[in-house]
Amino acid sequence: MKVALVRLGLLAALLAVWEVAGRAANPLLAVPPSAVIPALRDLLLLRSYPELSASLLLTVREIGAAYALAVGAGLGCGFMLGMHRVLGRAWGPMIAALYAVPAVVWYPSLMLFFGLDAASKIAFGFLLGFFPITLAVLAGIRQVNPQLVVVARAYGAGAVAVFVRVMLPSMLFTLVGGLRTGLALCVIGVIVGEILGSKAGMGALINHAYGLLRMGDYVALVLVTLVLVVGSDVLASLLERRARAWTE
Amino acid sequence: MTVRVLQLVTFVGGLTAWETAARAGWVDALFVPAPSAVARALLRTGGPALAGLADTLGKTAVAYVLSVGLGVSAGVAIGSVRLLREVLSPYVVALYGIPKILVLPWIVLLLGYGTSPAIFYGALHGLFPVMVLVMGAVRDVDRTLVTVARSLGATTWQLYWKVLLPAIVPSVLAGMRLGIVFCLLGVLVVEMFAGVRGMGHILGSFANGFQAPELFAATGLVSAASIAIVLALDRLNDGLSHWRG
Repeated sequence: MKVALVRLGLLAALLAVWEVAGRAANPLLAVPPSAVIPALRDLLLLRSYPELSASLLLTVREIGAAYALAVGAGLGCGFMLGMHRVLGRAWGPMIAALYAVPAVVWYPSLMLFFGLDAASKIAFGFLLGFFPITLAVLAGIRQVNPQLVVVARAYGAGAVAVFVRVMLPSMLFTLVGGLRTGLALCVIGVIVGEILGSKAGMGALINHAYGLLRMGDYVALVLVTLVLVVGSDVLASLLERRARAWTE
Repeated sequence: MTVRVLQLVTFVGGLTAWETAARAGWVDALFVPAPSAVARALLRTGGPALAGLADTLGKTAVAYVLSVGLGVSAGVAIGSVRLLREVLSPYVVALYGIPKILVLPWIVLLLGYGTSPAIFYGALHGLFPVMVLVMGAVRDVDRTLVTVARSLGATTWQLYWKVLLPAIVPSVLAGMRLGIVFCLLGVLVVEMFAGVRGMGHILGSFANGFQAPELFAATGLVSAASIAIVLALDRLNDGLSHWRG
């Protein structure tokens, strides 16, 4: 209770400082929150950017496509490497080493190959989401107690039953955590891709507002994009909770 | 042994398949140049690319020192004071999670093009993973140790220096391992977005000029450098944990 009040107080103080500093500063460099509110209203009423809904939809679709690909490839690759011991020991470290490269170095090549449209953003979001999902599957498989598998087999359980009844419950924590991280990274990948170069989508609108120094619109667009980011993570955390409830 | 052979086979096989595909014209050489062309491009552009890499790594080093220094001290401060921790930790976690790229245009507007926005953004990128890890580690330090030290009459200073800091070393190292990739990523993003020098700028201009062999060569160079840095940190980490026992 007291903590919540202090938290709110801190937020209010930050907004107040921002308001005072924003009014004092060069209006081309900073906007106070009081100027963001009308900009946000204009944005949401489609006055400043009539293409807002189309851009938002495009970004969401890019994220959806990237995530679907990342989940498919990540699960496939993870299970293949996890089930096959030699392949896993050979390729697992190679994948982990590639994960140590800051992914943005691949983006110019992806842009060259896939062009400025949605495909390069989908590819980049996929690339960011793929690694944590694959690595989570690998880590999850390592958590499965091999004795349980042997016992289940000995009692005549088939491959499917072993997978669903024994392996999945014991690796679900890690797996679902990886899927959630993967979604967060897909979202970031698509947004980074759009800001580094695009013709449509939220990133393009943000670049447009920033390029024209329309700071109010810029902050409003960032807030709308943040709602998308936070919303996707809330959705993922709800699913995570469901999955945990199922194992317990 | 088999593992090493398989890794080698994968690597060589991949390169051969790629070279064959490029030579046979299955992929467009404009977009996917053959490895041999990439190797020639590496020799041709190696000098300027290495200079760009040095520039990028220099900025990354400054950003890294800033983010580890600030991250560890802020993490210890927030993690060890209960009120601070309860009030601030949701903010810190939220700031860690949101895509920092959204504020990049504003940072560039404030700091201009060139070195300072890259260092600032790189440090911002690396700060939060270090801080979150250290905060968690300080919170999870064994209470018994603190109580015992207190009851034996340790001063606050001794408590931090002799109990807390040694206990959080593994998390600090894990944060440092994670932070370097974040810092390098941040610096490269700024160089791509608003750079005038450095590897990110070089990669961006090769892509804009459709110079695929040079682009691939430069990408390979940065990737190799960052893998080498991370492996070196891992080595250091292993050495230190042996030394800790």
